[in-house]
Amino acid sequence: MLKQILALTWKDLKVFFKDLGGVAVIFLQPFMFIVIMSYALGGLFEPGEDQIQLLAVNQDRGTQAAAILRQLDEMDAFAVETTWEGQPLSREMAGKLIVDGKRNLALVFPPDFSAVLEQDPAAEERQTTKILVVVDPATSSQFVEPILGTLQGLLERTTYTAMMPKGIDYFFERLAPQTPSEQREEFKAQAQEAMSGGLLGGQEPLVTMERTVPAGMHVEEYPDAFQQNVPGYTIYGIFWIVSLLAGSVLQEKREGTFRRLLVAPMNRVVMLAGKLLPYYIINLIQLVIMLGASSLLFGMNLGHSPTGLVAVSLAAAAAATGLGVLVSALVRTEAQVGGLTVLLLLTLSALGGCFVPRFIMPAWLKTIGLVTPHAWALDAYQDLLVRGYGLLDVLPKVGVLAAFAGLFFGIGVWRFRFE
Amino acid sequence: MPSSMIEINGLVKKYGERVAVKGVSFSVQEGEIFGLLGPNGAGKTTTISILATLLPPDGGQATIGGYDLLQETKQIKPLIGFVPQELALYPTLSAWDNLAFFGRIYGLGGPALRERIAAVLDLVGLSERAGDAVQTFSGGMKRRLNITAGLIHQPRILFLDEPTVGVDPQSRNFIFEHVERLKAEGMTVLYTTHYMEEAERLCDRVAIMDEGHILALDTLKGLIGLLGGGVIYIGLPGDALERLLPPIHALSHVLAASAQDGRLKIETSDARSALLELIELCNARDVPILSLEVLEPNLESVFLHLTGKQLRD
Repeated sequence: MLKQILALTWKDLKVFFKDLGGVAVIFLQPFMFIVIMSYALGGLFEPGEDQIQLLAVNQDRGTQAAAILRQLDEMDAFAVETTWEGQPLSREMAGKLIVDGKRNLALVFPPDFSAVLEQDPAAEERQTTKILVVVDPATSSQFVEPILGTLQGLLERTTYTAMMPKGIDYFFERLAPQTPSEQREEFKAQAQEAMSGGLLGGQEPLVTMERTVPAGMHVEEYPDAFQQNVPGYTIYGIFWIVSLLAGSVLQEKREGTFRRLLVAPMNRVVMLAGKLLPYYIINLIQLVIMLGASSLLFGMNLGHSPTGLVAVSLAAAAAATGLGVLVSALVRTEAQVGGLTVLLLLTLSALGGCFVPRFIMPAWLKTIGLVTPHAWALDAYQDLLVRGYGLLDVLPKVGVLAAFAGLFFGIGVWRFRFE
Repeated sequence: MPSSMIEINGLVKKYGERVAVKGVSFSVQEGEIFGLLGPNGAGKTTTISILATLLPPDGGQATIGGYDLLQETKQIKPLIGFVPQELALYPTLSAWDNLAFFGRIYGLGGPALRERIAAVLDLVGLSERAGDAVQTFSGGMKRRLNITAGLIHQPRILFLDEPTVGVDPQSRNFIFEHVERLKAEGMTVLYTTHYMEEAERLCDRVAIMDEGHILALDTLKGLIGLLGGGVIYIGLPGDALERLLPPIHALSHVLAASAQDGRLKIETSDARSALLELIELCNARDVPILSLEVLEPNLESVFLHLTGKQLRD
């Protein structure tokens, strides 16, 4: 019995290792995924390397904003940029850098920032101010919230430090040695309030943060989790058509139906186009269902440009099915279909930002990501769904996706083995 | 339409260093069933694939229906039907859907296509299963449908590549009758097989192929005539081989005799009569017969005679 088991094992190992393409893919696939995801998430888990870059527009006439920015910059996770190409950052410049996709978030400290923190606690009228947080609406809340939390902590600490000397003076002036204990308790409570900045009336903090989008984006409200996540997973999902298409082509070759079709009076390009079209349609149906269901079931806002959405969807589906033709041309066995598609799709999706936002990736990985159709499709969908852009704004990205589709299809047709 | 529907001359096909078809030449007349008989690996499928426009040849010329195979493929394609060795059907689709698909590929449509599908399904006895998925069919039913799919557009020339592989005897008979009906309708058929009995039953002329060459090409009668009345291999003691050759040559039913691998190969005009004469001769000379093999005149023995190996080797 053992001999039979060993014989079967040996036979299957030989069969497996004969398919070198399949072997390479099986071992390469998890390795690639580990490498890419590790680099992509490196910025989050290894502070100090690949810091998150924050733009800061410091309009403060005092020193408090600079102190906060210095503390932020001293943290391993952040690199604060107050200048761009040698020029001090203005709010307009910061907004443009976000619109251009060079940065994701800018902090704008108001001119009265120090004055508000250093105001007299006994003053009759309490002054408050707000820091503007200009953020690309496509930026995941999971990324923005920790940054804002850190900033909030620094603000509270700064507020406390700025207010404390004046608060204590205030208490010394008011306290007398003969004060009864009830009164002392009351003063203690007031002192605590003073230290937290609340002495000046109410619980409203002196400094608040207001999230906004750069000028030029038409966003009525900050996007929810669906708007931020659906495009990424939709792109990831539609590219799985590659596996279906390549599997179907391989099946036709294996079962001889391709040979029968090749005998028929039909051009080979027509034959491939006919093979591609149904999968393109399936892809479009997939997009309609994913975006439609997210809108109908979860109330996801589909943006202001239905034509833009149609254009991006047509181009993204073309890129996905084009990649399917290319993979069909390269694979020879079932194992290769499974392995290569998983390898390609997970790698491209990860590089393209479907799993991890590209802005937290190291710069070199971000650049590599641009060679994936996923990155362009994702960016185009985010333009429409969360940045409030229209058809004209996304046309260049649609063009890039169409070029990807043409390139994939062209190489696929060139390398396709009909036999 | 020319009377010679297929004409090939010096056809060559290479796969890398290996030459699969080595200068094959033959012609097939209109309405003829022409058989390519040979063992697996003989080059039959490669030859039929070249003629069906699936593979480009590396040498030689060919015309199909009078059109040049390399230059006039567009004109050739509508003329030919191809039934590959594999069951080239979509298993999850019904028989009707499969035929409708292949019909549309050839430009058929509407009532004409529906009528044609109904007619061919009736012809192969599958009308009642028209709506069933092909994957529920028996092997024989699939084979019949496989042939039908190659006929849906009513080609003038049909290429049948080993159409009975893995088929039960009943379905095989059904296929034979079907091919005979096609011949009666005037269709030209190029039929590859490694089953001698199929070639014997169906083919007007047969080309025997082995290792990329055509070894013999003739009518069945002509090929069998190569063996005359049959061949006898007789094993004799070493010293008797040379000694008995002259008297054997002189026997009335012996056409030729030669020593081969320690035996005498004797081609006869009538194997039975020659055998009796041989036994009588050996008895008279007191020579013991060590072994005896008689090849009856049929394609199997012709193949053995030509190649020294069995058809199903």
